[in-house]
Amino acid sequence: MTAPARAVRSRSLLPAGARVVAERPADERALVLAAQRGEREAFSALVRTHERRAYAVARAIVVNHEDAEDAVQEAFLHAYRALHRFLPDQAFGAWLHRIVANAALDITRRRKVRDADELPETVASPFRDPAESSELRRRLQEALETLPARQRAVIVLHDVEGFKHAEIGVTLGIPEGTARSDLHYARSQLREVLGSVRSEL
Amino acid sequence: MTTEYRGPELVRDDDLTRELRAIYAAPSDASWWAALEQRITARIDAAVIADEWWTVPERWMRVGLIAAGFAVIVAGAMIVRSQQRVTSMAYQTVVGPASTDVPEVAVSGTMTEQQARLRVLTGR
Repeated sequence: MTAPARAVRSRSLLPAGARVVAERPADERALVLAAQRGEREAFSALVRTHERRAYAVARAIVVNHEDAEDAVQEAFLHAYRALHRFLPDQAFGAWLHRIVANAALDITRRRKVRDADELPETVASPFRDPAESSELRRRLQEALETLPARQRAVIVLHDVEGFKHAEIGVTLGIPEGTARSDLHYARSQLREVLGSVRSEL
Repeated sequence: MTTEYRGPELVRDDDLTRELRAIYAAPSDASWWAALEQRITARIDAAVIADEWWTVPERWMRVGLIAAGFAVIVAGAMIVRSQQRVTSMAYQTVVGPASTDVPEVAVSGTMTEQQARLRVLTGR
């Protein structure tokens, strides 16, 4: 086991064989430094620490679960290759989220081109079954897919994942004010859909 | 990155938030996350192997550069030498004897010079 991984485990009193996850910034910095020295176990620990949040960022931007998973994989691979350029004193999470957002936006662009060329409908995800079980969620899902990717990302990151406007700004590379106005427009669009579905049902 | 927002007040809609959370719920199965981590690690491993296959060690790179430099010098020298030979032959063709065939044929056989010249001209 590597020194940073040992340090993380001993401080958090994890039993042998338990999965190493950085819980404190100091642990994370040690893991980043170890990963920059080429220690693969340290990078795996960073993956374990950040994969859920990375998935949330990707899922906020793309339209289905499979694309979110692809974006997360792409992003971690990109982060691994660019790790030597990362300054360990910065927040690894914020840096990674930016990479994830870019990977997800790339996938969204590619899908747009592909869908225009080939299939008019998006592939149904087995993970969306609960949403598809109700008419309201189905209509809401459709409305979400018609929103511009950035507005969709902003409302999901804010209302679902609890990101602050400043964090959204950093992640998506937009000013905080833009994040606020995107949130306003996305909410009004979706509220309209919600209202019309309710009046129909 | 902060710019002042002058739009209407942002009010959370609880119903909308609840529906969005249902739609965007992340997988709750721990095994799915472990599998995702494995897929990420496998993808990085594959990329590293591919990168290493293309990456030439620095020592070999130096040896290769020296060998390539040497090959360029040798090839250059050979081209210059060959060029000199061609120039020299062209020069000899212009300023040398008109034909060396006749005396050689004459000397090699028992024919007279006149017979030899005739033989060269008729091609027999």
